[in-house]
Formats: sequence, structure tokens, C-alpha cells
Amino acid sequence: MFVARSIAADHKDLIHDVSYDFHGRRMATCSSDQSVKVWDKTENGEWHCTASWKTHSGSVWRVTWAHPEFGQVLASCSFDRTAAVWEEIVGESNDKQRGLSHWIKRTTLVDSRTSVTDVKFAPKHMGLMLTTCSADGVVRIYEAPDVMNLSQWSLQHEISCKLSCSCISWNPSSSRAHPPMFAVGSDDNNVSCGGKVQIYEYNENTRKYSKAETLMTVTDAVHDIAFAPNLGRSFHVLAIATKDVRIFKLVPMRKESTSTGPTMFEVQIVAQFDNHNSQVWRVSWNITSTLLASSGDDGCVRLWKANYMDNWKCTGILKGDGSPLTGLSGQPTAMSTMMGSSVQTSQNAINGMSAGSLHAYFLL
Amino acid sequence: MSGSKPDILWSPHQPDRFVICDSELGLYRIGPVGSAETKAGTLPLSEESAATLLAINSDTPYMKCVAWYPKHEPECLLAVGQANGRVVLTSLGQSHNSSCKDLVGKEFVPKHARQCNTLAWNPVDSNLLAAGLDKHRADFSVLIWDISSKYSPEASVAAEKIRLSSVDLDSSTVVTKPLYELGQNDACLSLCWLLRDPKLLLAGMHRNLAIFDLRNTSQKTFVNTKAIQGVTVDPHFHDRVASFFEGQVAIWDLRKFEKPVLTLTEQPKPLTKVAWCPTRTGLLATLTRDSNIIRLYDMQHTPTPIGDETEPTIIERSVHPCESQIGSFAWHPSSQNRMVVVSAANRAMTDFTVFERISLAWSTTTSLMWACGRHLYDCVEEGAEGVESMIEKDIATKMRQRAQSRYGHDTIQVWRNHVLAGGNDPQLKSLWHDLFYMKQCAEDMELKLQGNKQSVVYSGIKNIVKTSSGTTESRRCWSGSDRQTDVPRYHSEERCLALRLCGWISRGPEIDMEAFLRSLEQEREWERAAAVALFNLDIRRAIQILNKGATAEKGDLNLNVVAMALSGYTDEKSSLWREMCSSLRLQLKNPYLCVMFAFLTSEPGAYDGVLYESSVAVRDRVAFACMFLNDAQLPRYIDKLTNDMKEAGNLEGMLLTGLTKDGVDLMESYVNRTGDVQTASFCMLKGSPGEVLKDPRVQCWIENYRNLLDAWRFWHKRAEFDIHRGKLDPTSKPLAQVFVSCNFCGKSISYSCSAMPHQGRGFSQYGVSGSPTKSKVTSCPGCRKPLPRCALCLMNMGTPVSNCPGTGKSDEKVDLTRENKLAQFNNWFTWCHNCRHGGHAGHMLSWFRDHTECPVSACTCKCMQLDTTGNLVPSDSS
Repeated sequence: MFVARSIAADHKDLIHDVSYDFHGRRMATCSSDQSVKVWDKTENGEWHCTASWKTHSGSVWRVTWAHPEFGQVLASCSFDRTAAVWEEIVGESNDKQRGLSHWIKRTTLVDSRTSVTDVKFAPKHMGLMLTTCSADGVVRIYEAPDVMNLSQWSLQHEISCKLSCSCISWNPSSSRAHPPMFAVGSDDNNVSCGGKVQIYEYNENTRKYSKAETLMTVTDAVHDIAFAPNLGRSFHVLAIATKDVRIFKLVPMRKESTSTGPTMFEVQIVAQFDNHNSQVWRVSWNITSTLLASSGDDGCVRLWKANYMDNWKCTGILKGDGSPLTGLSGQPTAMSTMMGSSVQTSQNAINGMSAGSLHAYFLL
Repeated sequence: MSGSKPDILWSPHQPDRFVICDSELGLYRIGPVGSAETKAGTLPLSEESAATLLAINSDTPYMKCVAWYPKHEPECLLAVGQANGRVVLTSLGQSHNSSCKDLVGKEFVPKHARQCNTLAWNPVDSNLLAAGLDKHRADFSVLIWDISSKYSPEASVAAEKIRLSSVDLDSSTVVTKPLYELGQNDACLSLCWLLRDPKLLLAGMHRNLAIFDLRNTSQKTFVNTKAIQGVTVDPHFHDRVASFFEGQVAIWDLRKFEKPVLTLTEQPKPLTKVAWCPTRTGLLATLTRDSNIIRLYDMQHTPTPIGDETEPTIIERSVHPCESQIGSFAWHPSSQNRMVVVSAANRAMTDFTVFERISLAWSTTTSLMWACGRHLYDCVEEGAEGVESMIEKDIATKMRQRAQSRYGHDTIQVWRNHVLAGGNDPQLKSLWHDLFYMKQCAEDMELKLQGNKQSVVYSGIKNIVKTSSGTTESRRCWSGSDRQTDVPRYHSEERCLALRLCGWISRGPEIDMEAFLRSLEQEREWERAAAVALFNLDIRRAIQILNKGATAEKGDLNLNVVAMALSGYTDEKSSLWREMCSSLRLQLKNPYLCVMFAFLTSEPGAYDGVLYESSVAVRDRVAFACMFLNDAQLPRYIDKLTNDMKEAGNLEGMLLTGLTKDGVDLMESYVNRTGDVQTASFCMLKGSPGEVLKDPRVQCWIENYRNLLDAWRFWHKRAEFDIHRGKLDPTSKPLAQVFVSCNFCGKSISYSCSAMPHQGRGFSQYGVSGSPTKSKVTSCPGCRKPLPRCALCLMNMGTPVSNCPGTGKSDEKVDLTRENKLAQFNNWFTWCHNCRHGGHAGHMLSWFRDHTECPVSACTCKCMQLDTTGNLVPSDSS
């Protein structure tokens, strides 16, 4: 059973992104108020804001954590055409004792001439690499050659996607069988422009990223995209937030050992849901990629889960605003949860549990 | 308000009141559904709210436009513009002695009658009411009335004139002289007062937008445009104005009024209303004719005339609050993003909230955080923990719980791991029993053969039966029956091993199933026990088991009936018994009972009814096949079953594949299906130190599992897993990570750190009393120079720690001596990687309990705070 509690975020404008660190003990939020806030979870599960600072001179669209082995490092991107890298330092003052930490800007990446719409660190095994995408349709991959010196970032790749980019996602697989790969989504509204999701793969021989696939069936604006944690699976799963929720499976075809071109994929659509009625804004996978959360114009967060037959079902709907319009953010609000499928009902009946329980998944 | 088309106005000050106007005015109060005030006449607006009609006013016919008086007092005062150009003040639901008594009924009449298109109250000087009228020759089209004109002493002269000129009108209520007359020889379609300066009035005229300044009425600023309808100022950004024409919305910046800063995508049908959201910056709602959707433009960034040109960031959204066509809508003045929508046809109302785009993220521990608007919501999975609820949990939660219950770590009673996993997963049960039997057999073989036959055990039944040779055929009597049967049974060393792996027989050369049957009886698996006994051609034992079962299960009639049927067994081909059993067996619910009759009624060698009964455990079917299929049939059957299992990723098939490449293939489809890398990792680590561990897929699962444990901060579990793994896969052991070299000679001092007694040490004066074997080495083994000193006790490294007298805390002494393990750790030398100062771990820890900075003088390094991860607590520490 999922229960939602409201947290007093104290942002002065819309929050655009929420991001957890590797351990799930820290969280970063960013907002149109041009600031980023860092939150730490106490042992009793409360979130405390330990840092809040102005990061950009425009709305901050996204914020993301680097793997902790690179230190406490955040990256943010903004309407102000820049992306920035931030590092937590132990300052001269006793901030930490007051429960506050100090973050300093290590670098500003100014290569984009338009709003930087997404920023993501590459998977850890590739080293400390940062990717941005921007409204002018360019994906940029930066690398910090010296992890001790985060003020040095070199632009390694610049990939033109031709369409205004809105979101980017790295394939998290660390398997050597899978070359580095990322997917980029476009929010271009023009249906005639073709596929709005492009997948790029690194070619060891040319040392360049080249397009491996375009999902031609996704023709509407894409707002978010997320590769599922691979977890040793032999295929990749990609969730897309467009006018509906879509889940694609990319099965790498067996490659001839002599061929040097990009991997060919068998692209299967495994699920497509228009339950949000209209635009879907975000998608997010859990750590084992067995649960997908999506949010949409209906103001709801929906949870999706597959059964062992790879049939995806809605297993939970949560209202996005907590309680009915009280407007009091400081007070914890218990929220009722509504159940999606009939499977739940029977399962709940068996277990004699309340109607709030979310999962009914038999592992057979 | 052309008679039929309704409009909505929210009360500017009472958040629960609104007025619907079409041919008449209706005042409603909105409230929660089911509140105490709910009466029969309430109209539901949404799941949560309902409206109550408070008052109706039909005094003013021919309404064209309505505007609500903006000030608190008098409340509920409305100005109504009529088709003949008159503006009437009216009210709703007010008692007669209210403060607006004098104003209600007042009329403002233009010189020439023509339609009044729009009304706007001045937000500051609320006496001023602007009215926009159609064109009438060279007359003015924008009239600004002063509603208090009669009472103001300056206006008394004007009022006097009116009285003289218009005798037929009730002089006390009719005003014919406007305060200002603007827009000569033009028509006015829309009006709004500018918020940045209440003396400025923006008017959508016939072919231009004009700004009139009341301080200098002879001048106006204007821009020629067609977008002159519905002018409205952004309440959050006073220089931003929206207006529309047909399907096109233009956004203007008053600081650069020459052309629109932005035009929004054209809509196919003409627009009827455009409104800025009063509770949220940059949200513009638009409505077109004959439509059931409201299109929203979320203007996160619009171009500004100052500064450089930026591309706009506008997110287009559409919402459809109700199924019917929308007549009009109105944003709630204070509730976040809320509006009420009224349908075009039947005045049906809907209370509706536009949701912000929600961004969300899962944490590693399956809690979901989302941000909606300015608020954050932390959504955690709560509920009964425990075995019962395991079945409905996600694999991530399951793996965490299993890791905590030390799943996979029982290396002796291997089968027990399925109990640690929760004990309710039949596939895991099968898998861990397989591995248990494999281990048992391998250990036996080791004793017997001392050879390399061990790997055969782990290669799976598929490979074992392939190598089968010297199969002997035997025809055995049914025990308890004197008839000679013609059921051939096959024996070979390999088949015998396979039966052992299936768990049917235990060690020893004899095929003795009695132990197995007893254990099944103990687990009350009566049907399965009976079937096994029957396959052992012991019909009497089978009947005995069923009877026992019937007694134990308190007279399970079914078992007794089956026992009865069994006892009537006959091997005659055409008997009634055979005929009935082969048809009725399909109605038996229990698969084991079903296959018993399938076995008895089938021809020798044609046992498909048993072999392909998928609800019977794989191990039982395989054991059956090993007994009754000949050398040609058996490999074929096993191969087919193996492929089925591989395809399905069914862990029961592990029995067939063993820990071979086939097994990895099978596990791959299991992982693909479930994501359970935990089981995959532990399973692959249970075999002989073999080839499978070198498979990149296996390495990948192990890495992924370790990564999961790290993300969950199950560091102790991860370390235990690594130890476990290192036993089977020595190559996975990491090399020593840190070497300490002497400051003087540069050689490693690790030699002296080992507990070896050292000859001829130079600095023994610090040696404290202790056992003579204990190392007291305080100098470099290479050059005999002293090792660094502890920053706190100033003793050289290698000196055992003494209690810290400086701290003077008695409880600390207890801490240091309480546990020997901890005491030894306190002796260790540690240092900060940043400032390179250090000392005994125990001393350092106690120092940093009270201090943030390094104990070395003039060093301001905050050693203990440098590593954020170091401050995290493992979540699996006991």
C-alpha cells in the first residue's frame, strides 16, 4: 500500500524535476524559481532541506546526481542555455553542524545556443561523463578527464538530432555485450517530422555515436523518456511519455563478429496506455524495472506492472495533489489510493487487506 | 450573453460564490459534496463539490455583458451592459438595507442607443466603470461612468443638468453624463484597465488596440491589429496582455507595443474566451466555439523586449473538463488552478482543477517522490511486512527482504534457501532442492571416486542421460499383485544418478524409494507419494498411502475413492475399468491422481499422459521418464522438456540443464522475465568452480546484484556475498587496495604491520606490557626509522592504544574494552586522505565525536565530513 505524505518544498515556483541519489538518501529538486534544493533523509525517514541556492538565471528544467564514487556532484540545466555542475564541499563555516551543506559551481557548460532541456550523467562504468540536450536539437557529451578536478570538462561529442530535443536517457546496462547507448526524445509537435525518439549507439571503431534506431511509430511530441535498469537482462526496455505511455523492448539481434555497424534491434512495443487521457509528462522506473510510474494531464500518477507473461497493467492510481485543495503544504496529508485492476480486488479479498494494497503479482 | 450563451463570474472576494449569467443572473454557492448545508437543490459539480443556487435576478433583460464590482463593500454589486447600450447596476441575494441599496437600480445611459459590448471596473478607483459600445456615427464608443457621480459634490452641477434635460427619467437613478468620453468615431469590443497604472485603459477598438490615459484624454497610444477581442492583462506580469481574433491569440508586451511578442498557434475555430490564470504565473486558458476542450498555454518563458531575443518556452496542453460543449469558463480567483466550466446548452456546471505537470522519481527502496506544482509528495509503500504479504510484492522488495534473511547463504542445507526466500515460490523450491541433491551427489562421488566425476553431477540430467550406456531392461511384478506385468523398466548407472538428482532415491546402489515416500507422507503430499509408489510398481503401497492420507485429512473422500479405484486395477486391455479410468481421470483435479490413472491405462512406452502433464513437477516427470522410457525415447523427451523450460525460464528446468551453458540460457530467460538477479547469482555460485562463472552473463548478474546491494546500503550483505563468491571464484578477490610506504626509505611497511614478531627493533621503549607475541613494532622494517605518530597520543604507529585520559569519559573506556574486536580496531592506524594527518582509529573517532577539525595544530581540515558516503549508515547492520 502506497501512502503519500506532503513535504513543504518551499520552492517559489513550479518544481520541474525531482532526482534521487544512488542510495536514495538524498534528493534534489529544481524549479522555475531558478534554484536547486538538496534534501537529506534522516534516519526516521523525514526529509530535510540542507541546501538551497540560485543556480541559473532562468527556469531550471532538470537536476541529476552523479554516482557517489565521483563525490557529491549534481548537474542542472536551464532555460538560460547553460548546464552547470555542482559539488558539495566542506566549507569554512560550520554549515554542516547547522544541518546545511555548501555547494559550489564547478563549471558552466555554455555551448548551447538555446534552452538546455535535459542533463544526465552517463552510467558509472563509462567514467564521469555528462550529456545535455537542447531545444536546438543538439546532444552534447562532456567528459571530466580528471575526476579530482570537476572544473575541467571537455566536449567529446556533439550530435545533431535535427529536432528540438526535450529529454535524454542513457541505457544503464554495464554489460560488455551492450555498447554505450542513449535515447533522445523530441517535443516537436509536427507529426509529419517522423519518429520523435532516436537511439544512438557508440561505435568502438569510429569512436563516434551513430544512430542505431528511430522509433518511427512515435510521431507525437515526447516529453520524457527512460531506459529501464537493465539488471542483466538480454534486452533493453524503454518507456516513453508522449500522448500516451508506451513501453518498447529493444532486443539486440545477434551480431556477426565481422560487422562493425551499429547493433540492429528488434523493436517491439510491449504496452501502450492512454489512461492519462491526454499528454503524459513523466515516466520513471524502479530499480528492478518491474514498476513504472507515469504522470499525465489527468493530474494523476499511475503505476504500471507486468505479469510474468509480460502483460502490463495499471496497478495503482494516485492523485497528484494529495488532499482535495487544502493548499496547506506543511501538513502531512494521508491520501486515499484507488485501485486499477480487478486482480487487486481478488487478491485483497484473499489476504483480507485494505483496498489500498498495490501489488498482485504471482511469480510462478 | 446573447441570450443563450452563458458566462461565469467568480465573486472577487467570496471564494465560494459565483454568478452564471445567460438570460438572467443566478448566484451560486459552491461547497463540498455532502456538507451539512447540502440541500435538495444542489447541483453536483465534481466528485468533491456541489453548487447551491442562492438567488436569481431577472430584472435586467437584454444582457450583453456583466462585470462584478471589485471592492469588498458593497458585495455582490454587478454592472450589466444591455443591448441598447445602457449599463445597469444590480445586485443578487442582498438584503434591502445593505450598503449598495443606493447604487442598485442606477442606470447609465449613452446618448445614442447601441449595443454595449464590454464593461470594466477600475481595480483601484472603483467608482469608475468603463463601458465599450458599438459604433454610432461619430459618437464616442468608450464611456467611463462614475457610479458615485450623484453624491460627489463636484458632480452635483452635472447631475442638475441631467435632471433638467431628461425629465421623463427618474432623476435619482439615471446618469447620462459620462465622466470621460473616449474613442470617437470608432467601436469598442473589449476593455481592460491596466494594472501597472490604473489611469490607463486598454481598449480593443475596431481595427486597433488603444491605450487611453485618463489624465490626458486627447492622446492615445495605439497599434493597428486585428486581434482586438478579449483584451486581458496578465495579473502576474502587468506588462503582458493577451487579445485574440478568430482562432489566433496574440500576446503583447506593453513596453514594446508595436507588434505582438508572440502569437500562439492558430486554432481551427474562432475563440470565445481567453483568460490568464490568477493563481499561477504564465498560464493562459483559451476556449473556442463548439468545443469541449480548454486549451492551456503554459508560458514558462516568453520573449521580452528588453534583453536579447530568446525563443519562447510554451507548453501547450488541453484539458477536457466535461463531455458536453463548453459555453464559458472562469478561473477561481484564489484556489490554485481551479475553474468552473459551464456547458453551452443546459447550464451544466463542472468544477475542475488543472493539474501541474508532475515530475516523479523512484528511489532505490521503492518509494516514489513526485512534485506537483510547488509541492512535494513522498509516497512510500506501507503495509504488513511478513511472509503472507510477500507474494504480492515487487521483486525489488522481495530481493531486499531475501537479502536480509540471508537468502542464498545456506551452503550446507542448500534446500533451506527457498525457505529463506519466503518459502512460497514453487520454482525457487525446486531450484534449491535441485542444487541440494546435486551437492549431495557430488560429495558422495568425491568420496567414492576421488576423480573428476563431480562435474558430471552439475552438468544436468540432460547430459547425464546422453552418456547413458549399458541400460538393462527389467520387467517387474507389481508388488502386492501376483500378475506378471509387461511394464518394462530401465536401469543404468546414469539413470540411477538421475533419480538421485530428482530426489527419488537416496545414496546406495539399491533403488529404494521408501525413504522418499516417508518424507512425502510427512509433508502430507499424499497424492504425490501415491503416484511415486505406483511408479515404483507398488500398488499396495500406493493404496496404503491414499488410505493414510484420507485418514489424516479427516476422511478426504476423494483419496479413498481413488484408492478404491486403484485396487480394481486390471491389465486387461479391453476391460471396463480401463475404459472408465482413462476417460474419468481427466476430471480429477489433482494432477498426481490424474497421472496415476494415465500410467495405468496407457500402453508401455507411450506415456504422454504422464510426461506432458505440465502441472506435475518436472522432477517427477523426469524421474518417471528415467524409469520407463527407453534409450531412444529418453534423450528426445529430455531435450524437448529442456527447451521448453529454457524458453519459459522455468527454474524447475535447472534439474535438466544443470549449471552448464544450457543452465545459463535458462537462467537468462528467467532473469529476462523476473529481474531476479539475486537468485541467478547465488544459483550460479553453487556449482563446482566451473565454466559458468566465466560466462559474461553470469558476471553481469553478479555485478548487477552487488550494485543493488550497494544502492540499498546493504554493504555488509554485499561484503558477505563477496566472501561467498571468493570461495568459488578466486579470481573475483580484489587485490590489496592500499599500501603504506615509509616516509624515509619508501618501502612498504606492511611487513611490520603483520603480526610477525620482529627481530631487533629500534624503538621498543614505547612498548607496553602485553603478551610477548603481540607486535609492538613502531618502526619501518626497511630502514628502522620510526613510523608516524598518532596526532593525539603522540605515540608511534604500531603502539597499542591506551585509554584516552584526555577525554575523561568513563563510558568511553568501557566502549574501548568491552569488545575485543573493537579494541583491536582501535589500535589500527588511520589517516585523512586530504590532510594526511592521522592516528589510532580509536583516538581519532573519539576526537571527532566532539570536534569537526583535524587535531593537528593549524590544520583546518574537516576530515570526518569530507566523505558524505562515509557518513551514511549501512541499512543492514545488526
